[in-house]
Amino acid sequence: MSANQLRPLDVLKGVRFTRELVLLCLLIVLVVVLGQMSPVFFTVGNLLNTSRFFVEVGLIALGMTLIIITGGIDLSVGAAMALVAVTVGLAHQSGVPMALALVLGLAVGLAAGLFNGLMITRLDLHPLVVTLGTFALFRGIALGVSGGGAVSSFPQWFEYFGQFYLGPVPGQLFVFIAAVTAVWLLLSRTPFGRYVYAIGNNEEAARFSGVPVRRVKVVLYTGIGVLVSMAAVIYTSRVSTSRADFGAGLELDVISAVVLGGASIYGGSGTIAGTVLGVVIIATLRNGLSLAGVETTWQVFLLGVLLIAAVFVNEFFRRREE
Amino acid sequence: MSAIEASAQSRVEHRAAAAVHPPIFRLAGVTKRFGGVTAVEAVDFDLRRGEVHAQVGENGAGKSTLVKLVGGLYVPDEGRVEVGGEVVQFSSPRDSEAAGIAMIPQELDLFLELSAAENLFVGRRRPRRPWGALDWRQMEARAREQLGALGVEFDVEAPVERLSMANRQIMLIAKALMGDAAAVVMDEPTSSLTEREAARLFRIIDELTARGVGVVYISHRLGEVFMVADRITVLRDGQHVRTAPASELDSEEVVRLMVGRSLDELFSRGGHEAGDVALEVRGLTRTGEFEDIDLTVRHGEVVGIAGLIGAGRTELAQTIFGVRAAERGEVLVDGEPVELDSPAAAMEAGIGYVPEERQSQGLVLPFTIAANISLSILGRLSRLGFVASQRERETADGFAEQLAIRGARVSEPVSRLSGGNQQKVVLAKSLAGGPQVLLLDEPTRGVDVGAKSEIYRLIDRLASEGRAIVLISSELEEVLSMADRVLVMREGRVSAELSREEATQERVIAAATGVAVGEDEGAEGAAPAASVDTER
Repeated sequence: MSANQLRPLDVLKGVRFTRELVLLCLLIVLVVVLGQMSPVFFTVGNLLNTSRFFVEVGLIALGMTLIIITGGIDLSVGAAMALVAVTVGLAHQSGVPMALALVLGLAVGLAAGLFNGLMITRLDLHPLVVTLGTFALFRGIALGVSGGGAVSSFPQWFEYFGQFYLGPVPGQLFVFIAAVTAVWLLLSRTPFGRYVYAIGNNEEAARFSGVPVRRVKVVLYTGIGVLVSMAAVIYTSRVSTSRADFGAGLELDVISAVVLGGASIYGGSGTIAGTVLGVVIIATLRNGLSLAGVETTWQVFLLGVLLIAAVFVNEFFRRREE
Repeated sequence: MSAIEASAQSRVEHRAAAAVHPPIFRLAGVTKRFGGVTAVEAVDFDLRRGEVHAQVGENGAGKSTLVKLVGGLYVPDEGRVEVGGEVVQFSSPRDSEAAGIAMIPQELDLFLELSAAENLFVGRRRPRRPWGALDWRQMEARAREQLGALGVEFDVEAPVERLSMANRQIMLIAKALMGDAAAVVMDEPTSSLTEREAARLFRIIDELTARGVGVVYISHRLGEVFMVADRITVLRDGQHVRTAPASELDSEEVVRLMVGRSLDELFSRGGHEAGDVALEVRGLTRTGEFEDIDLTVRHGEVVGIAGLIGAGRTELAQTIFGVRAAERGEVLVDGEPVELDSPAAAMEAGIGYVPEERQSQGLVLPFTIAANISLSILGRLSRLGFVASQRERETADGFAEQLAIRGARVSEPVSRLSGGNQQKVVLAKSLAGGPQVLLLDEPTRGVDVGAKSEIYRLIDRLASEGRAIVLISSELEEVLSMADRVLVMREGRVSAELSREEATQERVIAAATGVAVGEDEGAEGAAPAASVDTER
């Protein structure tokens, strides 16, 4: 065995590599099939363009991966995204300088996540219940303060966040790649990442080992709040509007991508590489099906089939491990 | 009663009347494999009329497999099962029961909501009145009669769940005798009995053998085995090691046969000079769990904490370690007060804790051995915020060598290890932070004799290196042989503090149960506590 046998990724035994390989093959098959269905699909321009649409889901999925590994979940991400977008929009509308409006938006996203984290750890409530509550709460605030209206007419420079291209590459792809690298390092190389896996596999043993379980959880829920803020800013910039109905159903896309990527909904396992593949597969499928002229309703249907198949494959591997 | 049952029963009766000499049952060269694993190999075992034949061996030695072969739960791959000299094929527990072999398993199989009388008649023809209704009075009378024959009396009308474990067990024995059992197989019969109840069980065993019934007695407690057994069979790794009359063996010899090591090596502890006070606990309280606990442990000293389950020992240790919040009181390590709010703070102050529940509290089972050992010290093993895998592996390798962790490489999941080796990983983890004070909560529970003696030697070595050790154990032998000083807890308070010289089984038991010291209670109860509890 090589001297590298103890890389933190190997902390969990397993065939995760195989699982990711399966996803990669699935992606290749998808690309080939979709390429046959539409001549436009296989152009570099289109493939890169697809990335414009998955960055928002992808950013949040990174945080969701860590939360799901600890055995938790966050259903409030879509609502929190609307809250951030509305905050930015209203602040801009009421004359706050745009830069400051963005900082405010970031602060609101962070506060929303922190609120979830504190409710879960201090009151010892299940994340599903807490975030189901804030799912309604955040959306309610966003709708209430915005009065249901939209804000647009953002300054020119703000549109860079969601519409900037470097050559053929959309700007937000760089943001995503940077975020992927950072979260991947965090999860696979740092003590914090090890704690995340330890909590998901045996929270009690983690606590007995001196792992600051509560602090890790608060950081995770606050962290996903920050990622939600980033996604909100990019999305608002991309569509040049802020509205309180943004991000409706987003939590489903995010959780689907994470589960498709091989994370166990029971906690304990999951990887960033898997999640990224899950995000890309879903985005590619949606894009390719649109180009091939498949109706949206059928797209949703196919996504459902894909998700159930993915969960089945995951369970198959898990049982084989046991 | 089925036809098979009836014919088998009459056959047994016939045999018993015809021949006195052939054994009640005999296993001849039986082998049982599970996949590639051989559980027992070419083992001979027999039971004669009126004798107690004990089976001893470590966990995994094949005792329970052998019992299941006799009880009709398994069919041997090779070899024969004979009853009364005739080869039989048991295909279910009913067959074995019909052949006159009764099982008293460790986990008793009873209908808890039904009365003792009803339980006795389950699967048996119940007395009825002329018009067909059940004759309760007669059932209860016969139940009392059966129990009376064993010299026992209790309420046969109350639901079984209200009976003590001891009485439930006796009920099963009575039931076996109602079915004219020729052999009774008892698996760890005293594991949940008090001493007094165990003494009564031994009287009943005498009663059984006097009637000619044979008893197979399986126990880890060698003291008991030598009290009741006429013959002893030692098993090791599925192999038959030796069968001999109990009078030709002693416990030292049996342990040696079980593990290939002598008893002295199991319990060895040299005298040590204790140093300065390392751990000081003052007035620590959690209402309902323990109150006003004062405790000092010096460097190089092993302090044992004895007591019954529920006396508050584990709660005390976990409070010192910061897992539970203290209501009152303080903890000092080397004179410095310790913040009692988290395990991290306790570890920082130099306290290590080996929890009672190895799998749920001690280990992250899917993690590698190395990742388990390093979990508490990842900060220290990191460079620029990243875990230094080289350092992590070296640390783990170091502990694996020191503590002789065998069975897997440190890069393999800890779940691949045996119980004893998993326990060493837990010990390694608690030692990784370099604690000066080590709280060990049942450190040898569920560990085989070999690993046990290694853990004892480790405790001895850690103490001689100057560490202060608190040893919580429910095994009296363990506390008495390892501790320099013994604290006894009862109902959340320290009921006695005894020096090594003062600490005797009788005194500790008296303090743990609340019988005043001096009234030598131990001598009165005919059964001395297990002298060597080889595993739990």
